[in-house]
Amino acid sequence: MGAFHLSILVFLPLAAGVVGAFVPERVSRWLVTAATVAVLVIVVAMIADFDKESGGLHYVTDDGWISELGIRYSLGVDGLNLFLLFLTAVAWVFAAVWSSFRETERIRLYFFHLALAETAVLGAFTAQDLALFVIFFDLMLVPFYFLIGGWGEEEISVAATTKFVIYTLVGSLLMLAGAVALGALSAGEGQSISFSLAELQKRSLPEGTQNWIFLLFAAAFLVKAPLFPLHGWVPDTYRASSIPVLVLVSAVLSKVGVYGFLRVVVPILPDAAHTFQTLIIVIAVVSIIYGSVLAFSQVDARMVVAYSSIAQLGFIVLGIFALDPKGAQGAVMQMVTHGLVIVPLFFIIAALTVRAGGSGSLERMGGIAFGAPVLATLFLVITLATLAIPGSPNFVGEFLILFGVFEDKLVFGLVASAGVALAAVYMIRVFQRSMHNRVAEGVQPREAGRLEIGVIAPVAAVIVALGVYPQLLLDRSEEATVSKVREAGRLADASGDAAASEQVPAAPTPVPGTPQQVPPGAGAPQVPPGAGAPQQVPPGAGAPQVPPGAGAPEQVPPGAGAPQEAPPGVAPEQVAPGGGAPQEVQP
Amino acid sequence: MSATGFGWLVLAFPIAGMLVCALGYRKLPGHSAGWIGSLAILGSFAASIGMLFDLLDHPEEERELVDAAFTYFETAGVNVDLSILVDPLSVFMCLVVSGVSFLIHVYSVAYMDGDEGFARYFAYLNFFVFSMLLLILAANFVVLLVGWAFVGAASYLLISFWYRRTTATRAGIKAFVINVIGDIGLVIGAFLLFDATGALDYEGIFAEVNNAFSTNDGTLVAACLMILVGAFAKSAQLPLHTWLPDAMEGPTPVSSLIHAATMVTAGVYLIARTHPLFELAPLAADISAVIGTATLVFAATVAVVATDLKRVIAYSTMSQIGYMILGVSVAAYGAGLFHLMTHAFFKALLFMGAGSVIAAMAGNQSLDRMGGFRKSMPFTFVTFTVGALALAGFPLFSGFFSKDEILAFTLHRGGGFVVLAVVGYLASGLTAFYAFRMVFRVFFRPPVSEARELEHGHLAHADPQNPATGEPEDTGVGFPGPEHHIAERSWPMKAAMGPLALLALVGGFVAVPGLTDTLEHFLEPTFAESRFAESVPSHGAEYAGLGVGALVAIGGIALAFFVYMSRRALRLELRERFTTVHTFLFRKWYFDEIYNATVVRPMTAFGVFGRNVIEADFVQNTIVGGTVGIVRAGSSMARAIQSGYLRGYAALLLVGMTGLGLYFLITAAG
Repeated sequence: MGAFHLSILVFLPLAAGVVGAFVPERVSRWLVTAATVAVLVIVVAMIADFDKESGGLHYVTDDGWISELGIRYSLGVDGLNLFLLFLTAVAWVFAAVWSSFRETERIRLYFFHLALAETAVLGAFTAQDLALFVIFFDLMLVPFYFLIGGWGEEEISVAATTKFVIYTLVGSLLMLAGAVALGALSAGEGQSISFSLAELQKRSLPEGTQNWIFLLFAAAFLVKAPLFPLHGWVPDTYRASSIPVLVLVSAVLSKVGVYGFLRVVVPILPDAAHTFQTLIIVIAVVSIIYGSVLAFSQVDARMVVAYSSIAQLGFIVLGIFALDPKGAQGAVMQMVTHGLVIVPLFFIIAALTVRAGGSGSLERMGGIAFGAPVLATLFLVITLATLAIPGSPNFVGEFLILFGVFEDKLVFGLVASAGVALAAVYMIRVFQRSMHNRVAEGVQPREAGRLEIGVIAPVAAVIVALGVYPQLLLDRSEEATVSKVREAGRLADASGDAAASEQVPAAPTPVPGTPQQVPPGAGAPQVPPGAGAPQQVPPGAGAPQVPPGAGAPEQVPPGAGAPQEAPPGVAPEQVAPGGGAPQEVQP
Repeated sequence: MSATGFGWLVLAFPIAGMLVCALGYRKLPGHSAGWIGSLAILGSFAASIGMLFDLLDHPEEERELVDAAFTYFETAGVNVDLSILVDPLSVFMCLVVSGVSFLIHVYSVAYMDGDEGFARYFAYLNFFVFSMLLLILAANFVVLLVGWAFVGAASYLLISFWYRRTTATRAGIKAFVINVIGDIGLVIGAFLLFDATGALDYEGIFAEVNNAFSTNDGTLVAACLMILVGAFAKSAQLPLHTWLPDAMEGPTPVSSLIHAATMVTAGVYLIARTHPLFELAPLAADISAVIGTATLVFAATVAVVATDLKRVIAYSTMSQIGYMILGVSVAAYGAGLFHLMTHAFFKALLFMGAGSVIAAMAGNQSLDRMGGFRKSMPFTFVTFTVGALALAGFPLFSGFFSKDEILAFTLHRGGGFVVLAVVGYLASGLTAFYAFRMVFRVFFRPPVSEARELEHGHLAHADPQNPATGEPEDTGVGFPGPEHHIAERSWPMKAAMGPLALLALVGGFVAVPGLTDTLEHFLEPTFAESRFAESVPSHGAEYAGLGVGALVAIGGIALAFFVYMSRRALRLELRERFTTVHTFLFRKWYFDEIYNATVVRPMTAFGVFGRNVIEADFVQNTIVGGTVGIVRAGSSMARAIQSGYLRGYAALLLVGMTGLGLYFLITAAG
């Protein structure tokens, strides 16, 4: 596989989708499904073939593209994205298979979007050039916008897509601004602009500049994940989407954002990552607790999973911002395993909904297990994996994340571990309410059909296998992942030692106020001491600095840019009342 | 075959049994699933014996064998092998667990006969035994955690085995969540140890622990307390005990196996296993001893007033585990584990007898309804009474030797431990009292109608009701409604109870002070490093302790006779005179109510608050509304030149922004 061209992998689905648009519907769906299977086969071959000894990127494609801008068409696979490609491939295979067997309107268009979406996601995961990453990242938005709006539950899908689009769009624009700034600003004297991730990692930016670029990226990725309080698009989107689309959104799309943290933000902006470490950790921990508590107070099975995802993504971000090799490895593990459990989980919820007469409400379910022992057993396995029971691959991820966090941020780790117990509550509750207790009125406990078993059982088998031998993933991902957090981790360790030796008392901070009372600009002093240039944080002030040397301040996303930056900029302060106090940030 | 080879076999049998029962749930005819499950456990028992003999061939100082199957994970400095540790302690535990489990499997073949979930039951039961043996054989904290959590999951599945009972499913979730809290404690404890020693396997940690910590080092005490959280959650010690009485919702053999003989003793095993840590953190060990003592008193007092037969035995289990925890916490490891073994025999037996009686009562579990089964159920009567005598610590029965040995060791430690020992003796009087309260109320006094009918050969039948709530059962999933099985009529039940009765009778003779120290001697290599290894009570002190224990036990039994046999009215008089005390005990010291008020309700309220206030007002109105509002405002400006249609605008915005960005970049670069 040494000479394999990665573009084939990335664009194979799109090619099938384009061809599929011109052939009979019957052929179209199988063409795209076959392409997703082919992608899976290729990725599995890559995993088998992966040579961890040689290190660095594999299957590199690196061609000049827009040379004036230093944008290169650069793709590559390493340990960090290898299993995320696997997750993507798995999710798309089963989404496509499921859709192929179901009645779907406008089949050719639907499968075209499905295929385009896979290409965009594969592209985002393999891109080694920041501009290319941004392009693929934005490209994802298009097919998902149509898939959610065009093939979902009619009555809520307009509102849902609006929210989804606006949220991710605002996020994307912020990231675009950040990417442009990063490329332009990091080019030093005599250097040409480059967006190559490897090159950007070598160049250095002043800490103040890093800080505001960091915030732009963080806003985009936190929306995508999503974490509290930027999850406003989640409820409607989860309610509105059809099951296969939901599988993709929840299992894969959510990982692109957190992947961005690990691939782009932490290695390229290590000072800023260190500066904002505590802030992001607070957001992650609040998301874990808040998402978990809301998950067990939902009556709709989908919404339980929706909020549980917020909590699980909180764990992943927590692991990344532990800025510790253990945490980062745990985060990668958790990205993959959370995605893997989500895929069957939604198909199971679909199966339950059918049996409960079309309702996804837990109050309308009950007693399905007796008529459907196979379905119940599969659900049990998935439930236990989702709540990260020791022995599941999810546990290995959470274990490493917690170990990483305990190392330097013991208190946050302890709070986060309460989320593990809460996960047991909400997952067992869903399992029990649907499978056990008396048979609810209108419930038909039928055994799982062939399609249901066909899409659930294989993923369950993968999960079990990965639970027995997690080293399969961790071994391959170690070198790439650990290198991403090395620099930021070194800074964190150094400051931790310094703080320990100096014994500086934490800066006194005011009592938490209501978020509305805090003006956006006032946020800066609250971030950890040492946050270089607070005056650059407020969006208004930050904007003019984007293009130094380039002269024209209007190059910044003009007009609309500034107000749009405001909400995410405000967000960090708003965390305060919801879940604790970011004011407690230590030196 | 080597000892570790046998160790892997010990694990392989039950997992194979589980797979066969689970995959063949539709095709296995008749009782075959039950016999396959039983045979699998018999295989484990045989392999455990293989382990034992191989280990005995090694010289004493080389009886600690570790074998790794493969690397479980190794990354970022954390190195975990899938490995097992075979030493006298794990072999001893494997023998007890697989031996008792086998008998309970056999008992279950008859007891669960006719249940719709017959194959599922044995798949779960095999899974449980596998998990328990994994927990025991684990050579590091991660594998321990896997076994630990799987045991909790199996326990959950079996508690809510009759899953159409809402009381059973509620009990299941409670047990599961408390067990997960214990798991988290272990994870935190493992981290603290890893952080200081760089290892997660027992060997590595114990080798480093003396270098890494000084005595009563704060971190080490914290780590030990976290381990105790795990141990207490699993062993139902205060304050994490509330799940155990509710766990009695499961089928009676499950109560016998999991919630009496094996799983709940895991905490005792864990403390014994990690004793080098506790000896270096005596503060944590002392806390553990105090909590064990508090639990043994608490549970004994509740057992005195509980009226549900199974729950009396459940509280008795808590109480007896309190003795074991006390034992291993005062470094009386041999004594604690000895009691673990004898308790497994007599408590499994008591539950089996209770199952037989409850079947004869057509599912009714209330002591208030029972009486006079002595003539109609002679086999159950005799075996149950043997169990009760062993529990009470009647001279020469197994519990007599093991419990008094713990107390003798505690007394020998002197100082504040004397108080704990005295409390322990007092509670053992209560133990004898409630043990014979059961015997007298179930088997003596005038026979109730069910007992009279049975004397004439008719097994009682009633429409199945939930014993907890009285609501009619949904028999669709196989609650043992129409068919009940009593020991007198089912040979597998007899075949299981007979050997256990014998063991409850003579099991104590493996460790009679000064005569047969077989058990202590066998376990010695594991605890050879203990700083208390030489500090043991003299034989004289032990025999004095046995004497006191015998008097207390006989006193308790005599008191029970007085209250329940000779002065029947006294019971009601007492209850009326001490209403407050009785209510306090009967409500189980109000633990459930306190937890509801302090944990469950606030959590639920927070969830509702989050849903109704934070989500609606803050996230949706403020943030979403704000963002959408800003975008809308921008859109209305641009509405003149385009459709004003929001999504169209959004798409245009994206394209426009990208284009603009590129344009300015080109000029910048050029």
